[in-house]
Amino acid sequence: MSRRRIRSILLKEWALLFTDVNSALIVTLVPLLVVGQGIVYIWLASKFAGGSMLTTQVFQIALQKLVVAIPGVAQLPANEQLLVLLLNQFNFFLLLIPTMTAISVATFSIVEEKLSGSLEALLATPVKTWELLLGKALAGAIPALVMTWISAGVFLLVALGLGWGDLSRFVVTAGWFLTLFLLTPAVAILSFMLGVAGSSRAKEPRGAQNTALIIVLPVLALIGIQITGIVWFTPLLILLLALAIGIADFISLRTAVRLFRRESIVVQWR
Amino acid sequence: MAVIETFGLSRHFGKTAAVEDLTLTIEAGEVLGFLGPNGAGKTTTIRMLAGMIAPTKGYAIVAGHRTDRDVEQLHEIIGILTQTPGLYDRLSARRNLEYFASFYPSIELQFQVEKYLKLMGLWERRDSRVGTFSKGMKQRLALARALVHEPKVLFLDEPTAGLDPEAAGEVRHLIRTLREEGRNIFLSTHNLNEAEVVCSRIAVIHTRLLALDTPEQLRRRFFRRQIVVQLEALDARVMEVVKKLSFVQEVRWEGSQLILELSDSERNRPELVKAIVEAGGRVIGVSEKQYPLEDVYLRLIREEKGNES
Ligand SMILES: Nc1ncnc2c1ncn2[C@@H]1O[C@H](COP(=O)(O)OP(=O)(O)OP(=O)(O)O)[C@@H](O)[C@H]1O
Ligand SMILES: [Mg+2]
Repeated sequence: MSRRRIRSILLKEWALLFTDVNSALIVTLVPLLVVGQGIVYIWLASKFAGGSMLTTQVFQIALQKLVVAIPGVAQLPANEQLLVLLLNQFNFFLLLIPTMTAISVATFSIVEEKLSGSLEALLATPVKTWELLLGKALAGAIPALVMTWISAGVFLLVALGLGWGDLSRFVVTAGWFLTLFLLTPAVAILSFMLGVAGSSRAKEPRGAQNTALIIVLPVLALIGIQITGIVWFTPLLILLLALAIGIADFISLRTAVRLFRRESIVVQWR
Repeated sequence: MAVIETFGLSRHFGKTAAVEDLTLTIEAGEVLGFLGPNGAGKTTTIRMLAGMIAPTKGYAIVAGHRTDRDVEQLHEIIGILTQTPGLYDRLSARRNLEYFASFYPSIELQFQVEKYLKLMGLWERRDSRVGTFSKGMKQRLALARALVHEPKVLFLDEPTAGLDPEAAGEVRHLIRTLREEGRNIFLSTHNLNEAEVVCSRIAVIHTRLLALDTPEQLRRRFFRRQIVVQLEALDARVMEVVKKLSFVQEVRWEGSQLILELSDSERNRPELVKAIVEAGGRVIGVSEKQYPLEDVYLRLIREEKGNES
């Protein structure tokens, strides 16, 4: 029964998602912007600044850590070292995709239902709160994940096209895979849950999204930490990070289920 | 057998009482009209009975389930038409119905969806987006949604509010059809005609239950029979004389009409007419006053407000 219900919710969410221009645009445009921006930034840096950029202190620190993590890098010429560094750092930029997509889908789907009154009708059916939330979470997380993976693929293809192919063995590492296949799902679910939490108070989608976008800040902080080389994220660290966020997922799921108490939705969300 | 029983059911929001000490019993096969003005607590009561919000005091049993405890089982056997239709505008009528139907265990989904789309006259438009529907069509679709799983108890929250007379008539007709099928219906409304036409009993509510009776009994209880004497013109002398008659209990002018309550409205009539004529009154006609239920309702509410102050 639960599976049938969750499937039903999932399909309905997608039917609504892809018939709404704004949401469909967010799901497709955000990844495009993130990937496009990343490539332009890396291309500009390698073309115009090149190896000389490595002399700045920030890059020095980061490079030292990179060399510890991937010793082979030390053998490369300076401007290729820079490229490897930047390409590795792009890893975390990709996290912006599941974050923004999941938040948009979550807030959109909940606030729209709240405003139209369909949520009230839904809450009078035997659907369980966790089924509803899981259905919606998957409806948000799956496109977010798929778009992230597609973006990662596109990014690699473009990198190949730009003649950076030889460097891929320094980029497509265990850390890269861990980020894509463990960290990204964990971040997508956390984003979704924060989207739900934001929606429970907000009266319109934009307000909810603004609240939920707070989660973008830690992601940006993560990117900052990596760029400045304060911490270099080795596969082990990424694993630990994914685990920590996984725990946060669990806590936020429970919080979301609690915030989603039917009574308070019926009574307060009007 | 009682389908709905409430025991001192109350709901407060902070300091405001939305529903206070509601105790009533609704038998199987009844269509109960739940009548009250804006803010009377109709929606709040329906939400409590449908297990969507908890009472702050008292409890209710609907089809054998405590509404604050057996919520899941309760939700399987009730249907609700919420005050706003709450449909997905970008989905077709059929998709809307299939979606909601998919949450009920053991129903023949496609069969039920088709049955109610047809019953509600929406089969031809089944694949159109609901956003293109008129208000009346949306309301009928929402009604189909409330019925698609064959609920034992149906809650209708102001089913004709905001519809034009024709669309409202269609919805009322559908409700009467459901009544003939012997369904248990709890219908909130502030439209008296609707309650009178559709319901077997009427509960008048204004936070508290003010009355619960059949439409006819309500009338009889709240209005003694009144006699209307139509005169050619208002006449002070007539009033003087009539007031002095021993069997006249109450009298007032309404335009050129005298409205009276008599000790015996049949036997005192000839005496009354005689006295009026002798006082120089020119009588056009004598009749009995008919009360629309509206007056019962207004009067109850006025009484309640009088008690409050
Ligand atoms: N969520 C809420 N928070 C605070 N007060 C509420 C809430 N819901 C209802 N009320 C109050 O409870 C009272 C009853 O409201 P309710 O919606 O049940 O009335 P109603 O009879 O359905 O009115 P209407 O005809 O306008 O639909 C009103 O005074 C209303 O302001
Ligand atoms: Mg109401």
